Amino acid sequence: MKKLLLLVFALMPVISFAQGFQVNLEGEKQIGMGHTGTGVLQDGASVFFNPGAVAMLPQNYVQGGISPLLFKSDFNPQGTNVQDHTASKIATPFTFYAVWGPKNSFWKLGLGVYTPFGGLTDWGNNWEGKYVLESLNLKAIYIQPTLSIKLADFLSVGGGFVYNRGSVDLTQAIPLTNSAGQDGQAELKGTGKGYGWNAGIYIVTEAGITVGITHRSEVNTSINNGTATFDVPSSLQTQFPQPNTFSSSIPLPATTSIGFGFYPNKQWTLAFDANAISWDVYKVLAFNYGSVEPNGLQNTSEQRNYKDAYSLRGGAQYKTNKNVAIRFGGGYATTAVEDGFVSPEAPDANRAFVTGGLGYTFANHLDLDVSFEYEHVMSRDQTNTQTQLSGTFETNVYIPGVSLAYHW
Amino acid sequence: MKNFKLYILSGLLFVAACKPEIHNPKPSNGTANFSRFIAVGNSLTAGYSNGGLYLEGQQNSYPSIMAQQMQSVGGGVFNQPLFTEAQANGSGYLTLTGFDPKTGNPITAPVTTDLAVRGEYNAPGFGAVFLYTKYTGDIENYGVPGIKLLNITFPQYGNYNGYFERLLPGDGSTSVLNTDYLDFVTAKPFTFFTDWLGNNDALAYATSGGAGDVLTDKTTFAQLYELSLQTLTKNGAKGVVATIPDVTSIPYFSTVTVAAINAGLAANAQLTAVGLNKLYINALVSGTTYAPRLATNNDLIVLTFPTSMIGTIVNTPYGPLPYGVTPYTPVDNQYVLDANEIALTRDYVQSYNNTIKSQAAARGLAVFDAYTYLNNVKLNGLEVNGISLSSAYITGGLFSLDGIHLTPRGYAIIANEFIKATNSTYGSNIPLANISSYPGLKFP
Repeated sequence: MKKLLLLVFALMPVISFAQGFQVNLEGEKQIGMGHTGTGVLQDGASVFFNPGAVAMLPQNYVQGGISPLLFKSDFNPQGTNVQDHTASKIATPFTFYAVWGPKNSFWKLGLGVYTPFGGLTDWGNNWEGKYVLESLNLKAIYIQPTLSIKLADFLSVGGGFVYNRGSVDLTQAIPLTNSAGQDGQAELKGTGKGYGWNAGIYIVTEAGITVGITHRSEVNTSINNGTATFDVPSSLQTQFPQPNTFSSSIPLPATTSIGFGFYPNKQWTLAFDANAISWDVYKVLAFNYGSVEPNGLQNTSEQRNYKDAYSLRGGAQYKTNKNVAIRFGGGYATTAVEDGFVSPEAPDANRAFVTGGLGYTFANHLDLDVSFEYEHVMSRDQTNTQTQLSGTFETNVYIPGVSLAYHW
Repeated sequence: MKNFKLYILSGLLFVAACKPEIHNPKPSNGTANFSRFIAVGNSLTAGYSNGGLYLEGQQNSYPSIMAQQMQSVGGGVFNQPLFTEAQANGSGYLTLTGFDPKTGNPITAPVTTDLAVRGEYNAPGFGAVFLYTKYTGDIENYGVPGIKLLNITFPQYGNYNGYFERLLPGDGSTSVLNTDYLDFVTAKPFTFFTDWLGNNDALAYATSGGAGDVLTDKTTFAQLYELSLQTLTKNGAKGVVATIPDVTSIPYFSTVTVAAINAGLAANAQLTAVGLNKLYINALVSGTTYAPRLATNNDLIVLTFPTSMIGTIVNTPYGPLPYGVTPYTPVDNQYVLDANEIALTRDYVQSYNNTIKSQAAARGLAVFDAYTYLNNVKLNGLEVNGISLSSAYITGGLFSLDGIHLTPRGYAIIANEFIKATNSTYGSNIPLANISSYPGLKFP
């Protein structure tokens, strides 16, 4: 006759990551030209852009670059005049490429290390959506050995194997108040891995136009034995077993691209890329914990329902002389996130971007390239169907970049 | 040097441009004037929480939250009759101290330090009235815990309600007070008001299990409501009124259930062996006639019912019998709002709400339909900013430990509903409060 007041905490840390947040910063020369590179051949970054083109590179390359990224989001909760801003934190997508093959040989080996997906968002612990997300630091580092073979002077193919090392560090407030009036806190921190492949083909047409087609496969990244920390009022701690682990898996989507290069004269290169990103695979985000409580912490499964996204990009390079290149470009990308599923970890919407860049070659062997990208993620007025977080998101991204490439 | 300045300027411009700004519609007062906003009502308006009125609850009252949000649309100073820091615990209140490790039942304890109680006196023909430290400053929040609509024109009401006495000059225990509530709240000019009176006209009856109070007569209610709105609007003030929630939508009635008690009884071998494992209550038959009968799931047990009483031996004319499980020892009326009492209460609440809505409509006032809103929350729960709220006791996050009054988060939600009603009627744009920044129930 006891147990009249059943305690049931169906509390779900609603946690999500790997939003439609693809980092398109895989080579400074290419960024300068609107992040095109599928159908043109510039340098070792072809390992990423089109492994099929690598064998066409006239030289061997070792190069590295970094693109410090400042992601500035604003959230205006529905019906308020509040502006919640993300803290100024700088993410550091980077690239490293090496391409080697014997002189005048029909094959080349390549290695790429790059960061195609990531996010660094810090909304702080005081904003309207703190129970959805406080901060997220997500990184995916791809390591890709590549082999490319020239089948003929006008045709080369190539492919690579991708190993992804992913990491996530996410914090979120829990709506359980302690006696001092403070929220509970959840932190999920872990690393994971995944595998995939990519392949490409590169064609030099008789008209002098170059064409590239590539496919980068889905990389399903699993995090096992991540650390789940829950700081809740002590009378409720048993409902959130500690220490605890979590596991989850995120499909990083496949991308299929086609690109064209045009060369009106010796000075000018024009490039166009179209990409289809198969976000459609991302249906559900599930979290499983090492230990759960029937009246407390539960495994969660959250609908994501992404749709495929597309982007169009164009860019140009003008060489004032053999050592100096001026670049500019831009593009437009559609969002993968459907209405009702937008959430603050990477408040996604359609986006437009413009880029510019400069390159200088020292002593015929060393390229110094700088680039700048400004990206505007369109304002989007949304109510999340699960969390009911309601308001308008808008984001600007500022990305300077610099790289050095040595070639011989 | 010129260039240097230019660099700094362009640098600043760049940083300023970095932050996207969303240009939402600007706050505006529409056709209303919020320069002096007053709040009229009972304990819910005063910020009563966890079974008491105390400083932290007052600071999170829904009128105070609304007043903060009105600051950007011409709102003025909003004074509340706050308890001092030294007497911050006011009347005293309940805190949660933990959970019974075996049953999971919550354990509460009263806070008895730093109170603002200045004494207690015996009001003739009424009973004990607690008196509190007087408040003499300006007041915009006129919420008086316990007040019914029935009481608002009664000049001596201050002699019977310590929370009202506290706001009036003169000692209610030694002198006859002579200011009625309606006169008191309308003494100074004001431009906007909230009015959430009427809950206690039904709730006092319901929470006492239909035993300790009576429902206010429907016609009397209608007359007094009309009078109150006439008085409040006579100088052109605009306002927003609220309906009275269905009393059964609160955890005070939905937490301890007949089904749970009967399940416990069925599991009790001793009582089952003698065939006494079903709950008996003293239920309303009609008028004022009560008779014992078996409890059903349509009867509601109050949160404060000490379930440990069940099965304890009581002496009856038929000999010693276990409490609550025989027709001769039914659960006392005060612990049960039985099916007929519920029907009666609902009938009155419906009539009160019809009065409230039609009187408000006749004067073009905004209405927050708390009845519909809280019924909807009870039925569907409420998801806000990633917080799952419900009408459940303790775990729901909306209601405080007394099962009737709200947590700061609950009051913030109510404040936003009042604001939405105001905005839609007066074309104003009072910004909504941030629900996430108001805490829920405190756990140790």
